Amino acid sequence: MQMRKVYNWQLGRNASYIYPQVRPQKQWAMVFDLNKCIACQTCSLACKTTWTSGKGQEYMFWNNVETKPYGGYPVGWDMGILSKLGPQEWHGEKYAGKTLFEAAEKDEKILQHIAADEDWAHPNIGEDEIAGSINKGDWLTLPHRVWMFYLPRTCAHCTYPACLAACPRKAIYKRPEDGIVLIDQSRCRGYRECVRACPYKKPMFNVETRISEKCIGCYPKVEQGLMTQCVTNCIGRIRLHGYLNTPEKAVKENPIDYLVHVRKLALPLYPQFGTEPNIYYIPPIHAPVSYLEQMFGPGVGTAVRTYKNIPNDQTLKGLLVLFGSMEKILSSFKVDDKLAYGFDDKGNEIVKVPVTEPMFVREFFDSKLKVFRQNTP
Amino acid sequence: MIRKIFLVLAIALAFVQGAYGQGKPFVEITSFHKDADVSKVGINDDVWKDVASYKQPLQRQFLLEPKPKDVGVKEVHVQSVNDGRFIAFRLTWKDDTKDDTLKITNFSDAAAIQFPVSSDPLPEYFMGEPKKPVHILYWKAWRTKDQRDGTQSVNTSYPNMTIDMYTFDYKVTGTGTDKTQAQKDMFIPGRAALNPIDSAHKEIIEEASAEGPGTLKTKPVENTVGDAQWQNGTWTLVMRRPMTVADKESVQFKAGERKPIAFAVWEGHHMEGGGRKAVSPAWAEVMVQ
Ligand code: SF4
Ligand code: SF4
Repeated sequence: MQMRKVYNWQLGRNASYIYPQVRPQKQWAMVFDLNKCIACQTCSLACKTTWTSGKGQEYMFWNNVETKPYGGYPVGWDMGILSKLGPQEWHGEKYAGKTLFEAAEKDEKILQHIAADEDWAHPNIGEDEIAGSINKGDWLTLPHRVWMFYLPRTCAHCTYPACLAACPRKAIYKRPEDGIVLIDQSRCRGYRECVRACPYKKPMFNVETRISEKCIGCYPKVEQGLMTQCVTNCIGRIRLHGYLNTPEKAVKENPIDYLVHVRKLALPLYPQFGTEPNIYYIPPIHAPVSYLEQMFGPGVGTAVRTYKNIPNDQTLKGLLVLFGSMEKILSSFKVDDKLAYGFDDKGNEIVKVPVTEPMFVREFFDSKLKVFRQNTP
Repeated sequence: MIRKIFLVLAIALAFVQGAYGQGKPFVEITSFHKDADVSKVGINDDVWKDVASYKQPLQRQFLLEPKPKDVGVKEVHVQSVNDGRFIAFRLTWKDDTKDDTLKITNFSDAAAIQFPVSSDPLPEYFMGEPKKPVHILYWKAWRTKDQRDGTQSVNTSYPNMTIDMYTFDYKVTGTGTDKTQAQKDMFIPGRAALNPIDSAHKEIIEEASAEGPGTLKTKPVENTVGDAQWQNGTWTLVMRRPMTVADKESVQFKAGERKPIAFAVWEGHHMEGGGRKAVSPAWAEVMVQ
């Protein structure tokens, strides 16, 4: 296959792709703080009730939350492709292994793992399963000796989408205005090349319509300046949605740029696949770094150190408080010694929250009602 | 250096053109004139018994990635009859597995015949080229099963699937609960977008046009009627259509004429679909008696 060279900043090098490099004017991006996800699945249901409540979509979770290390939807999506890819070494910040495009077998565009029918039938398999067994007398350390964490996932509206590259009909396109990747529902013929090719397994086949569908990045909301449903409904307030620039154009007032480029706290999931995915994860500080490095690349150590230092870091503390505090997409933010502020693209203030919530201590005895206050819910 | 590359490229192109484009057809098929009502001819009718059967070798689609490593079906046997008004083609090929059940990871057995809309100049045999369209008659085993047992749906594919309620699918009547089918279909994206794959059709044969790979487009006509049967590891497929139709972008047959024809077969069990298919290696020809 004749491949093009494109620059993939997540890998620190040029990488192969089917089409020449074309970046959108703005790139849709999200940041998830994995230290805070509680696997309540509110995001999955917010997405499901909004977009996939129709016939033929019963099994579809454009947003899913799985428990790592053992969970996965579809089952084994990550192990399947990682074991095929072979050694995935980094030399410092530069990826020394092959991407999925570079590792494509002869006559194929991309290396692929194909999920079986039953793999799609267990969206919450492995939930809450821990990585090992707890022995008598075990104690807690950081990172935990026996661990698990939750991994929420949606389509990452990749800069170099595998789904788009794979489609022989060019029925998949990446919008120039916001980078959202869509399957044209009138052009698709259900060949499922995208279902095979996406390493994150996010395009799905609808048996009712016999064509493929995928996460639409909540584009009708985004067009109105609003964050996606999975972000605004997140109970754990782990999510922030906005736009990401390339590293050399990073704007430190842009909250996504600040987390991804300036502080390098949020990292892409399996950057070695080579699609430049645009969901960035703040790694969980209690899981082993070696496991996390395979998932999020060589930046994990720094990210974990930065995260642990947040109590002494007023800007990051303020920015994390902004997560889940508003529905509008923020263009910029600011933190002072008391408050964190968010602004739209015209500089209007959208939100203002205290960095540390004030604490109120109530008297044990309520003299007005003449009762003792109990701490029972 | 550049000139050298260009030369190599030119030679390679000429070779591709010669071998797979306007080159000699590999197989010459005769469509025999019969005193029978060809508009009704069935799969196992006697008329096929004394009609020559032509072996058309198939090979993997080898021009565009993704190319299948290997294909499940390596040859198809072709017969044709006509009565001056209707023409019928019967295709038989070996396939140990019958793949006609719809599931999210199942691929349908399928077959297609392709004709140039105009033979002068002849379009590239591989799905035509811009401004030189081809007309494709496309059969899928899924559609044969739909026609026989009722349209397959999520309920037939996954009978144990459960759902609380579909949007607007209220089990009660009254103010605000009566929704039109179109309102309900808004929640079935392909249907709402009027994707031809999901739109109502009578026949098991889809008619389509193409002007190059990746451009296949369903035609809004259903002039081709088909029957298909899988028995003892063999598919038999009959397609019949009027020799002339009103649609100018459709293939037309005239007695005494030679018509280029090409074939494709998909083996669902091998996950063949789209460009992962077995194809005839060039235009063949059908001589209409
Ligand atoms: S809603 Fe938020 S906290 Fe709950 S599972 Fe989803 S990402 Fe995690
Ligand atoms: S995550 Fe998958 S479906 Fe989404 S853009 Fe990337 S390759 Fe395509």
